[in-house]
Amino acid sequence: MLVLSRQRDESIMIGDNIVVTIVDIRGDKVRLGINAPSEIPVHRQEVYEAIQRENLRASRLEPGDTQDIGKYASRSPSRPGDAPRPR
Amino acid sequence: MRINTSRFGRIDVDAADILRFPSGLPGLEDCREWALLADSSNDALGWLQSTTRVDVALAVVSPRRFVPEYQVRIPRSELSPLSIDDMRQAQVVVIVGQNGRGLTLNLKAPIVINLEGRTGRQVIASGELPMQYELSLERPPLKKSA
Repeated sequence: MLVLSRQRDESIMIGDNIVVTIVDIRGDKVRLGINAPSEIPVHRQEVYEAIQRENLRASRLEPGDTQDIGKYASRSPSRPGDAPRPR
Repeated sequence: MRINTSRFGRIDVDAADILRFPSGLPGLEDCREWALLADSSNDALGWLQSTTRVDVALAVVSPRRFVPEYQVRIPRSELSPLSIDDMRQAQVVVIVGQNGRGLTLNLKAPIVINLEGRTGRQVIASGELPMQYELSLERPPLKKSA
């Protein structure tokens, strides 16, 4: 891993269009500003990893597990086209 | 197009009903093509079935049918890969999961589908939303903490 030292208000560039700026340092907390093209999503790593775990767990669900789900649903979709559409 | 599935056997899918997920899904990055199927016994439920991995399918629902107050805010950076500029072009579904207490909905990371372009993407919604919203008959209010 590349390790760089930076002070407040200093930045690093990743490629030619992503800029990460040290906005503030307080105790053990660092605030980062990230400027990236809109098509590049930026996430906190722990959130992304939690979604990975949740997807893998959800992908093991079987039709038998969901057979009672209808009892939790309101009777009709809140707006037309909002429900998953059968093909 | 005929696809093999571990849950539903061999099924015929209209090529027009195949959704492309250019980035895959977190944890399932290699699954880029999915078929959206209706559940035969439950009209509130659909299944996203991977066309390439027979054993990978995700149960999905329209979140508003289960959590009427759910309002999803999605950063533009998450939508631009889908070429959606108007949420009216989009269909939002959430993935059904299961924890020790029962069925859950991932309200933090809904799937947005561009209906016209037949593309989809799992996005991370803004704000404090649970990844395991537990379904219950008492309709718990949407908690502010995850």
